[in-house]
Amino acid sequence: MKNLFVKTILFVLSIVLLTACASNTENPKASIADEPKKPVDVSQPETEVEQVVEDAIVTSIPAPSAEGLTLTDNRVGIQPTRIEIPALHVDAVIEEVGRLENGQMGVPQNPDHVGWFSPGVKPGSQGSAVMAGHVDSLTGPAVFYKLVTLEIGDEIIVHGDDEALTFIVTKKEEYPRQNAPVDKIFGFTYTSTLNLITCTGVFDRKAKTHDNRLVIYTELKKP
Amino acid sequence: MNLKKKLIAIPLSVSLLLPAGVPLAFAADHDHGGPASMEVSNPATDLRAALDSILSEHAYLAVVTMQKGIDGAKDFDAAAAQLSENTDELSAAVASVYGEDAGNQFKEIWSSHIGYFVDYVTATANKDEDGRKKALADLDGYRVTQADFLDKATDSRLKAADLEEGLKMHVDQLIWAFDNYVAGDYDKAYSSLYESMHHMFGTGKGLSWAITDQFPEKFDNHTVDTPAADLREALNNQFSAHAALAIITMQKGIDGAPDFETAAATLNQNTEDLTASVESVYGAEGAKQFNEIWNSHIGYFVDYVTATAKKDADGQKKAMADLDAYRVTQAAFLDTATEGRLKAADLEEGLKGHVDQLLMAFDNYVAGDYDATYDNIHEAYSHMFGVGTALSGAIVDQYPDKFTSAMPADMPKTGLGGMSDGPDYTVLWIVASLIFALGAGTVLMRRKTVKEQ
Repeated sequence: MKNLFVKTILFVLSIVLLTACASNTENPKASIADEPKKPVDVSQPETEVEQVVEDAIVTSIPAPSAEGLTLTDNRVGIQPTRIEIPALHVDAVIEEVGRLENGQMGVPQNPDHVGWFSPGVKPGSQGSAVMAGHVDSLTGPAVFYKLVTLEIGDEIIVHGDDEALTFIVTKKEEYPRQNAPVDKIFGFTYTSTLNLITCTGVFDRKAKTHDNRLVIYTELKKP
Repeated sequence: MNLKKKLIAIPLSVSLLLPAGVPLAFAADHDHGGPASMEVSNPATDLRAALDSILSEHAYLAVVTMQKGIDGAKDFDAAAAQLSENTDELSAAVASVYGEDAGNQFKEIWSSHIGYFVDYVTATANKDEDGRKKALADLDGYRVTQADFLDKATDSRLKAADLEEGLKMHVDQLIWAFDNYVAGDYDKAYSSLYESMHHMFGTGKGLSWAITDQFPEKFDNHTVDTPAADLREALNNQFSAHAALAIITMQKGIDGAPDFETAAATLNQNTEDLTASVESVYGAEGAKQFNEIWNSHIGYFVDYVTATAKKDADGQKKAMADLDAYRVTQAAFLDTATEGRLKAADLEEGLKGHVDQLLMAFDNYVAGDYDATYDNIHEAYSHMFGVGTALSGAIVDQYPDKFTSAMPADMPKTGLGGMSDGPDYTVLWIVASLIFALGAGTVLMRRKTVKEQ
């Protein structure tokens, strides 16, 4: 009976930290590779519009090529499934979270998972994608326990179904929990950013939450 | 030049961002049917709309001017002059935020890229491939200079690397539109024109976001990034592209230009995009009605062009009478759809402005008064931003639930205290209960085992 007891307690108290590392792949950009069907017509300026475009092959001017051109904004972002933080040996499953009735950002059900705020933007698209992870569970450390040790320049890798994006830590900030700049953390940015949130500071037993929030600001690494 | 010093020294005035030369109906009260809510029209979103208007008209005028240049068209000078006026407007807006010196510096940099586009057109006309390559290399250099300027001005809210990417897209879209126009591949030329105008709305959002983030108190702490503001600019984009495409289609039509059909097809594509927007709010039936009514007025413009080509004064009068009737139908539709938030009488007035501006732009083009033509074009283009603002104001007021921010009001609770110092009595209590429950379970199991034996 003692064995069963110990196993049960161990099960209840156990924390599993996944530490596998996976490779990072760059975000491939779709290319437009239409080849023009018509020969090029280059005329000297004409006074009559009708005369301008006639089919004539001129060898000195090449046909239009879209090679190397970016003609539309391809930054649609990825549906995140996994997040890796090599510096912390974190490799966690991503859960979608939303906004709670009381206005708070939701949190992942599993303390070993990371919650992506899915009403906001996707990682890799323009603006601030936001993810939150627990610093601890009821009984021990959770997925973002060591987030506070991240340093500027560290990499975060977010995996989607077929691609992965790398973000670089640019800033670390700690805010009182009721006085964090929510608009800035969740708001628009011209570049693609990913902000990671966890709790820090002293655990307020009355409020049942830590008194501070740690925000790790990161930006998408350019290919 | 010390930009930072300028940023501190020059207070921003929102009114300066809407100089007399910008006859835009940005203010909350306008001639399209009543006031828009603060959510749709406030100092921040008005700045966004103002920049969107100037930047997207730049893209349109640049594409048109390059076409007119390679064609040696008679209105080339007027188109180029209008593009230059647009640069003045944009530089004035920059100066109103960052000071005169910054405005002048911006103007010099911005004008340089227009010059390189002209070089590209000239080299193409001269079949000078080296000249074309030189122009492209100059445009590459421009991107770096322009990006650096905006990065510094916005205190790196806009990052040079992102700006260079955005500017590359702008340059690529214009070159692609031009090369394909020259090659006679009009589908590509016009889809790139359409996309290049749309692209500038992203630039306008980015720039207005950076400015309002930098000087929040000058914008009553409003943000440019709300679902309501996004709706306003999506509609502004679609309505202004309608005016721009209608004008170029009418010009190409009367000229019998080979790209007329494609210009008209792009105008139809725009109608479909507008219809999809209407459908997303008012459903399929509403969208169907809108599509029919909206298409009718494009048809009447075509009638007007055809009658003009045939020197058929009666045909012109008939087209104008049809456009008058259209105004009534369109106004009634929007009055009903918005449940009276936009008033039919005001809408008819606004639509009269739109119809008159397009007809005047066309008549002046036919008469060879190109300076007047491009003034009309500017007015017609800017006018549409009032239409988008009014309609988005009504829609947001009608369906407020669709435009609430998804943003949370508060930070997440991402810790349960298991790693905190000191005893957590809650946890202890849970663990104790668990132990008790397990203990009880053990006793029961034992009893059961004993019984079974």
